[in-house]
Amino acid sequence: MVEKEHLIDLQHICKEYDDTAVLTDINLYIRKKEFVTLLGPSGCGKTTTLRIIGGFEYPTSGTLLFEGKDIGALPPYKRKVNTIFQKYALFPHLNVFDNIAFGQKIAKVPTKEINIRVEKMLELVNLRGYGKRSVDQLSGGQQQRVAIARALVNEPQVLLLDEPLGALDLKLRKDMQLELKRMQQALGITFLYVTHDQEEALTMSDTVVVMSDGRILQIGDPKSVYDEPANAFVADFIGESNIMRGMMLQDELVRFSGANFPCVDAGFGENQPVDVVVRPEDIMIVGNDIGQITGIVQSVLFKGVHYEMMIDTGETIFKVHSTVMQAQGSNVGLSIVPYNIHIMKPMLRPVLPSEGEGEEEEAL
Amino acid sequence: MRKLVKRGYLALILLFLYIPIIVLILQSFNAGKSRAKWEGFSLQWYSELFKDQAIMKALYVTLSIAVIAAIAATVLGTLAAIGIHAMRKRPQAVMMTMTNLPMTMPDIVTGISLMILFTFSKIERGYITMLLAHITFNTPYVILSVLPKLKQMNKHTYEAALDLGASPSYALVHVILPEISPGVITGLLLAFTLSLDDFVISYFTTSPMVQNLSTLIYSKARIGIEPTLNALSALMFLALLVLLLIVNRRASNPAKAR
Repeated sequence: MVEKEHLIDLQHICKEYDDTAVLTDINLYIRKKEFVTLLGPSGCGKTTTLRIIGGFEYPTSGTLLFEGKDIGALPPYKRKVNTIFQKYALFPHLNVFDNIAFGQKIAKVPTKEINIRVEKMLELVNLRGYGKRSVDQLSGGQQQRVAIARALVNEPQVLLLDEPLGALDLKLRKDMQLELKRMQQALGITFLYVTHDQEEALTMSDTVVVMSDGRILQIGDPKSVYDEPANAFVADFIGESNIMRGMMLQDELVRFSGANFPCVDAGFGENQPVDVVVRPEDIMIVGNDIGQITGIVQSVLFKGVHYEMMIDTGETIFKVHSTVMQAQGSNVGLSIVPYNIHIMKPMLRPVLPSEGEGEEEEAL
Repeated sequence: MRKLVKRGYLALILLFLYIPIIVLILQSFNAGKSRAKWEGFSLQWYSELFKDQAIMKALYVTLSIAVIAAIAATVLGTLAAIGIHAMRKRPQAVMMTMTNLPMTMPDIVTGISLMILFTFSKIERGYITMLLAHITFNTPYVILSVLPKLKQMNKHTYEAALDLGASPSYALVHVILPEISPGVITGLLLAFTLSLDDFVISYFTTSPMVQNLSTLIYSKARIGIEPTLNALSALMFLALLVLLLIVNRRASNPAKAR
């Protein structure tokens, strides 16, 4: 059953290369005008998912619907989507104007109309007067804007973006994040965005899809993904976390790091092993006589807005963020508010890949 | 002192390399028929050269074969390179070995094997067989000059064209070919030069009725070298020199080659 507002539906999509599964049973729908981000570490299958929608890869099994119609077998040039590639893939032998006009010329739009549309696009991406420049003369940020204009001029229903800001420096990346969001809202186009940068995903998206190992782990809006991670992997990948093995003693009472903590979760049963996640900013440092547990400050790092302290309780080393610095070696008490303790079913996977590990999956 | 020895050594080597061709060029301006003594400057052998029907016919054969073979090999080689580039690693390695092998094979082996093939398949040797032979030995060189350009291309450029609505053939003409054109032109010039240059393969794949310049000179030289051949050789040397300079310049300076 496909709802009317679904623009794209992926149903049980699987992809294998030489018997290696790259995507396993991907189910996802994208609504009109939605900003959806596929987020995950290298090799998690997010780019492959995007390329299947773009038409550059074909799924081994499963159905891909666009406005309710099966487009799984259509070649890329017959799909109403456009793509922004990693490293932009501009046509080096054409100038900025001809790059942007490329799709319009194929669509046989009258020359006059092309001129008007391209000029409008140059204005939209803040490149007025750059039409005659060669694309080699542009900076990375400018090339990025040309790539965006080249796609948007065709008025696609969906824009697919494959780590488009990966090659830009931090400042430019932040600016472009805001600008992309502004364009998406102004034009009312659906964006499907691929990134491994969790902050980028949280900043820009309406919906975040967290992927790992070719599977979808969680789908939700940024706040719910951050506040209610589905499992320890999502918690670890999105934001910083303290992840501990614990024991659910009874409803609303959990034991970890050698102490019992009241919490708000229930329904796990009694004496069940669980994963416990606590964000570093949710641990309060209090006097060592009133804390739920006590520990010794091992190290202090200045991080700009806050201090990052590693506090050893003997059982666990907690990462704690606070604007107040504690002296190294001092004895402190730690306290956690019940609703900041996140309880999850333990993951089968023993090892958690660390965040930001490796390069982009297409770095070759 | 050391520097002087170095330079002297280099000069000596270059002298030995080029003295035969220098003598040849000088002889082509010799007024007398004797090769032993200088009888004054003259252009008469050049003017006689252009009056010689057999030589003019051979020149036509040489040039027309070089042009047609170079164009045909360029088309075949460019398309082959695009195909090889798109292959997966293992079949690509196999194709590259198959491409490199004919280039390392001695010309005489290529020539004889082609002759046997034509005889075996009962194709009468002549202009067409020589042309086919030239296309055959030229194609690998075109593939090798086009492939590096394809490797330099951003691999998403072709996909970007499709994404913007271009059919595969439109993308080939409007995106891929402009991108790799420096390699294609280098391949074309190389093929043309090699075709002009060839003697051994031509000798085995043509009939005595259809001669190109190299086979004609070879058969004439058996009777005795006429001074017109000096003039002809001098002109051929000059033409090949110019072509080689262009090819080398393109190969060493890819920025200017656009």
